[in-house]
Amino acid sequence: MFTPGSKYFVGLTGLALVSAVLYTFLVHPSDLGAFALYGLFLNAAVIAGFSFFTRDGDVATAEEAVEANTEATAPSFWPIVFAFGAAVTLLGLATNQIVFVLGIGALVGGGLEWTMQNWSDRASSDPAFNKFVRHRAVGALDYPGLAGVGLAVIAFLFSRVMLTVSKEEAPLIFIVVAAAVLVIGVLLATKPAMRSKSVVIIVAGTLVLGAAGVVSGISGERTELKVVAEEQPYTVAHRECGAEASAHYDNKANNMVALKSGVAATITVKDGKISAQLIGIPKAMDTITIPRSVATVVLFRNLDSTEHRLVANLGEAKVGTTDVMEKVGTCTQLTGKGQEQAMTVQVPKPSFANGPYSFTVPGVTGEIKLVVP
Amino acid sequence: MDTVSHVKNSRRRIVATLAGVAGTIALAGCAQNAPQDTFVPKGDNAQKIDTLQKVVFPIAGLVGVLVVALAIYIFIKFRDKGQDIPAQSHGKPTVEIILTIVPALILTVVGVFTFRTIMDLAKTTDTQMVINVTGQQWWWEYDYPAQTDQGITQPIITSGQLVIPVGTNVLLRETSRDVIHSYWIPALNGKKDAVPGRIHLLRLQADKPGIYAGQCTEFCGLSHANMRMEAIALSKEDFAKWVAGQQKGYTSPDEGTKAKEGETVFINQCSRCHQVNGIKDANGKAIISAPDENVYAGAAPNLSHLMSRTTFAGAMFDLVNQKCRDDVWKAKSDEFGAKYLTGVTTDCLNQKNLRAWLRNAPAMKPMYSDPTKLAKTGGKYRGMPNLGLSEDDIDKVVAYLSTLK
Repeated sequence: MFTPGSKYFVGLTGLALVSAVLYTFLVHPSDLGAFALYGLFLNAAVIAGFSFFTRDGDVATAEEAVEANTEATAPSFWPIVFAFGAAVTLLGLATNQIVFVLGIGALVGGGLEWTMQNWSDRASSDPAFNKFVRHRAVGALDYPGLAGVGLAVIAFLFSRVMLTVSKEEAPLIFIVVAAAVLVIGVLLATKPAMRSKSVVIIVAGTLVLGAAGVVSGISGERTELKVVAEEQPYTVAHRECGAEASAHYDNKANNMVALKSGVAATITVKDGKISAQLIGIPKAMDTITIPRSVATVVLFRNLDSTEHRLVANLGEAKVGTTDVMEKVGTCTQLTGKGQEQAMTVQVPKPSFANGPYSFTVPGVTGEIKLVVP
Repeated sequence: MDTVSHVKNSRRRIVATLAGVAGTIALAGCAQNAPQDTFVPKGDNAQKIDTLQKVVFPIAGLVGVLVVALAIYIFIKFRDKGQDIPAQSHGKPTVEIILTIVPALILTVVGVFTFRTIMDLAKTTDTQMVINVTGQQWWWEYDYPAQTDQGITQPIITSGQLVIPVGTNVLLRETSRDVIHSYWIPALNGKKDAVPGRIHLLRLQADKPGIYAGQCTEFCGLSHANMRMEAIALSKEDFAKWVAGQQKGYTSPDEGTKAKEGETVFINQCSRCHQVNGIKDANGKAIISAPDENVYAGAAPNLSHLMSRTTFAGAMFDLVNQKCRDDVWKAKSDEFGAKYLTGVTTDCLNQKNLRAWLRNAPAMKPMYSDPTKLAKTGGKYRGMPNLGLSEDDIDKVVAYLSTLK
């Protein structure tokens, strides 16, 4: 039952899991080593699954095997999909990201199907057996893949509707649609007589959603979102860094979560006090020293019960070519209890020349000094 | 030539080639002057790596030799001599189990030692001093945040030579301004990448005073090979003297001297990019350099105490002549600090190197500094351009730079 390859990877999976668990308890649960071992465990498990599933790539075991096929494989349209995907991918590189992603999808999907068809067509001289092994290998991927694409299309169309209707209407529509899906699902499950109509119901629902999504997409997003997009409230010039909430700037997350992995320091507000922790230095600091002209990521963590934002005060600069001076700085959005936001600062002038620089939190006493030598 | 002779000649050529390669490798290991020798640890962290490789290399070497020898034996023993194909069989559970368990055991032993070393080298709880290290095409900047327990009351900024006290756990917080670089002083620890937007940590600790050479080990562009670094380990007393020297204020040269004229040239030509802390213009206004407007990565070496270090331009060229260089490099541990702290005296200054650099820097070290080819960087330089200084200006600038101690 277990092929040599799958046995090896099953063993590796077990070893990695045991090592990961021991490491988690004996060393550190959130350490890089734990992530590496759990990563090894997952990877080994996936490969073990594939090895077991494909029997180490052998099309058929001895008892199932029919005489090998020496004929050429049947014509296939998958090479065309693959080539189309390659062309769209290249086009996407030159145009925009969505086209690129669609191209990659066609490239991977076409390549996979082409490979599997070629593999199964050569399995034996019996087309029925070949179809069977192909279905066994690819069927488990085809249906979830198609379902995933279908769900993505539905989510996209639904999101167009949500972006078009007002903020008050959106939750109501969401509740109504969710309730309708639940009710129809229950009816289909409990009333056998309705099952014959399930296809009609699903197609009708999809058509209604599709029409609503297309109409919403054409009519565009609601006015306040258009204003936000046009005013670009996330640029430094538009940031409103006071203690009060800003209608535009605080309206939307800034999607900088990925930068957390490279933070130079974490600034925390707790019990109305501000403190800083620098990576590699265990004790709390009241000063952060960063090099000149280096993009530095600072993480703001709010552990207070009220919302706060972090403000970087970076001295003053002339407005254009005039002699008028204005304050330079940036800030995060208002951050709720237990939440975090990342901020990137890059300071071209030393603090002794243009400073002092500091990090402050409006409504909180104290500051963290920022030194740029 | 008959077939037998041809085969014999071919064998001789193969043997001669292999012998040549082996001889070259063996001779390369015999270098007398090899300051970047990985196998000569001079600090606690490098010692840990050396201890690990002393376990892993013999195991890996033994496995490698056994596998290759076995493969060669099988190739020869079972080569095709026209014999019948032997009976084929599939699967041998005993052999499969042994071949799975034995490598797993070997890897487990290696893994235990390796993980322990990795964890030791990643430790930061015993840090005694922190230094920010920033890579830029093609030099390293070091800034020391204020640390009163180490006598550093004001931030210190320098480049090329990293100065540390002996027996102290120093934590480098590495980053980069432009591309990925990698920091490596083999005698003190392994290498660690410096990546833009990230902070990577590297521990250093030196047992004895001395100079420990290093090299950027991540290809970073045109002058990657010329991006050197040197760690200078000083006794704690000498380190305190070095700190005091670095925190000393600026003294403008006396009026009427060539150095004073050089200060004017420096202000007009060099201070656009290079900062000298405390320098002021004729009106008494502090001069702040603007490398962010002229240099692609946004910085240039701070020259406040240039003559306190013995190399320049990414530790590539000596600021001292050969005699003085040898005097420092070959000094005994107990004499090293005093000799290094002497800095660059008038007798020791390597006028040839410094003048050549001021005359035409890109001719000495390849850099992207041709003014006609800066379209991609918005007119900003990567490296120092040829400033077109006259010989008279070079004389003045050399006189001025000599005062920056």
